[in-house]
Amino acid sequence: MAIPSARRARRQPKPHRTLATVLAGIAFALAACTSGAAPSSSAPAATSSPAALATPSPSPSPSAAPAFPTTLTDDEGTAVKLAAEPKKIVSLTPSATETLFALGVGDRVVGKVEDLSLYPPEAGAIPDVAKFGEVDVEQIVGFGTDLVIAGGNSFNPPDKIAQLRTLGVPVLVLYAPDIPTVFTDIELIGAAVGKAPEAKDLTTSMQAGFDQIQAATTGLPKPRVFYELDASQKIYTAADKSFLAAMIELAGGDPITTGSTTNFEIPLETLITKDPEIILLGDAAYGTTAEVVEGRPGWNVMTAVKAKAIKPVDDVVITRPGPRLVEGLRALAAAIHPDANLPSAAPTPPAAASAPASVAP
Amino acid sequence: MATGSGALTSPSLRLGSIGRARRRPLILAGGGIVALFVALVLGVGLGTVAISPLDTVAILAHRLFGLDLGRTWTPAMDTIVWDLRLPRVLTSMVVGVGLAVSGATFQGLLRNPLADPYVLGTASGAALGAAIAVVIPIRVTFLGFGLIHALAFLGALAAVFTVYRLSRIGGLSPLTSLLLTGYAVGSLLAAGLAMAMYLSGAALRQIFSYLLGGFDTAAWSQLGAAATLVAVGSVLILLRARTLNGLLLGEEAAVHLGVNVGRERAILLGLASLVTAAAVAVSGLIGFVGLVVPHVVRLIVGPNARVVLPLSALGGAALLAFADLAARLLGEIPVGVVTAVIGAPFFLFLLRRSRSGYEL
Repeated sequence: MAIPSARRARRQPKPHRTLATVLAGIAFALAACTSGAAPSSSAPAATSSPAALATPSPSPSPSAAPAFPTTLTDDEGTAVKLAAEPKKIVSLTPSATETLFALGVGDRVVGKVEDLSLYPPEAGAIPDVAKFGEVDVEQIVGFGTDLVIAGGNSFNPPDKIAQLRTLGVPVLVLYAPDIPTVFTDIELIGAAVGKAPEAKDLTTSMQAGFDQIQAATTGLPKPRVFYELDASQKIYTAADKSFLAAMIELAGGDPITTGSTTNFEIPLETLITKDPEIILLGDAAYGTTAEVVEGRPGWNVMTAVKAKAIKPVDDVVITRPGPRLVEGLRALAAAIHPDANLPSAAPTPPAAASAPASVAP
Repeated sequence: MATGSGALTSPSLRLGSIGRARRRPLILAGGGIVALFVALVLGVGLGTVAISPLDTVAILAHRLFGLDLGRTWTPAMDTIVWDLRLPRVLTSMVVGVGLAVSGATFQGLLRNPLADPYVLGTASGAALGAAIAVVIPIRVTFLGFGLIHALAFLGALAAVFTVYRLSRIGGLSPLTSLLLTGYAVGSLLAAGLAMAMYLSGAALRQIFSYLLGGFDTAAWSQLGAAATLVAVGSVLILLRARTLNGLLLGEEAAVHLGVNVGRERAILLGLASLVTAAAVAVSGLIGFVGLVVPHVVRLIVGPNARVVLPLSALGGAALLAFADLAARLLGEIPVGVVTAVIGAPFFLFLLRRSRSGYEL
């Protein structure tokens, strides 16, 4: 999440893209419809139903979480004191909303951030108290909120987070720049809402899913993958060492990156030189199609275009650092290695969700 | 002041335009005070969470006078009324006072109708300061003040100081030199701001929201500091209203009136900049108020600074309080948009209607 959102934010002031930037600004959202069937469905903690194969069974991990009161350290290093188990939770990031539902505490969420690719669907009943870059502090206070989970790296305005804390509302700020932090963040949320064992189960099963997919693609050739975040004006893709680049590597691809850890823009000349073998359209939800890409001047020299290896993917599951990340990785692996024998998403109806085709225009 | 509205009905009003013109300031002041009161009541009473007027009154009575009106409310309601809405309304008023008073001062001082509180680089200085505070990875807070407030305040003052010093080099007339130097320094600072924004990555939105201005994070501690600076600065400016009148007549005339032009200009410049810096440090850059409110007041009551300054203060406070209320109720749109949408047509209407010649 955070990384593409960082890039999108920088793009903000550019003209001519107002609508698109606003939409993009709502970060990682935008898959047309929530792709169905995910492991983390409504069922509470049972969610962690491990993929058929994995070791993890809901074995109560050595309960690290002492009862409340407790003090947790969030991703920005702030000590967050929780006097009692939170009963009225506000989620200010889409991934936190997903995680809370996956941990079975969706019924305690009293407010959430606006999310154009809302998941799970039952979260739709929860009132929106924030948009990207905007937080209605008055409403959050009005609910009697006893825990706010917010996004770091300026996903939510830092001054609003400070204001909430001044008013005595505990705010847990999470930001996952890499995949391991996605897991620790889920466990942190678990500890904060009194569901530490369930969170541990969830991350164990996610890790198992990651391992299987990685195992299924090891030994296969690693095609050069260009993941298009946006190319409506300039071309944006994964930065070096970014979350997205790591996902592509885990899925058995060789990500074409920008050559910098902070810059998400890649010049067309560089892209042509790096010659992608596969082009993944993370911006498929914005209406970008293989035909559009083929029609762009200069792009027809790339191997991927000649071989027609241009595929839409669901950007939300791939870049949202929440419980569905396994699905995202599976979708990536399926797009990069269509012939690989990928483990299917266990008990839930098979890979429907992860198939790239699930991205509607 | 309230007698001003009483005068509306008095027979003397019918005597003719002279009597009316004399009473206009009083009428305007009365209207301004009523408007401020209405803005305060509405601002505290309305918001995204519905709190009944009786509860609001009870909370305020309890907080202000320790009275128990026999009603009960939740701690959340108390926080919303006392810690969110009230400081917000009051901050918008304080900033309105600051911008309007400093705008009137700059216009008089520079004898330029396009002057506003930001004309000598305060805005670009404050914006660059705020942007630097966002970009550098240091987070400190002291008494509710973040680095962004501190650097915006210092940036505004440093910019004006630089402009003032630079303008004294060279042979141009002081006013022309000040304006042009202000423009040049402002452009340079704007370049720095653009660079900081380019480097800011995900924090861009923070810089952006500072540039748009607003009161959504108002708090008592910030209000206290800003109110003190704005009040002291505005009173000191008001005490020099006679000097400002003298300067309006032109440098030569001012000298004949016994005004030490260079010294007085520097003092007024410093005071107006201080007031501006205090305002922009807590609210970000809110345009239009400082430019237009003094003009509106002058169109109605004439150019006498002794009248224009206090009435501008009232007008600025009322305009910003109402604009912020509208911005808040419309879903936190930028308050500068509202001030312009409310103010610009009204200003144009006054400009078209004014029959007599209008001068600063």
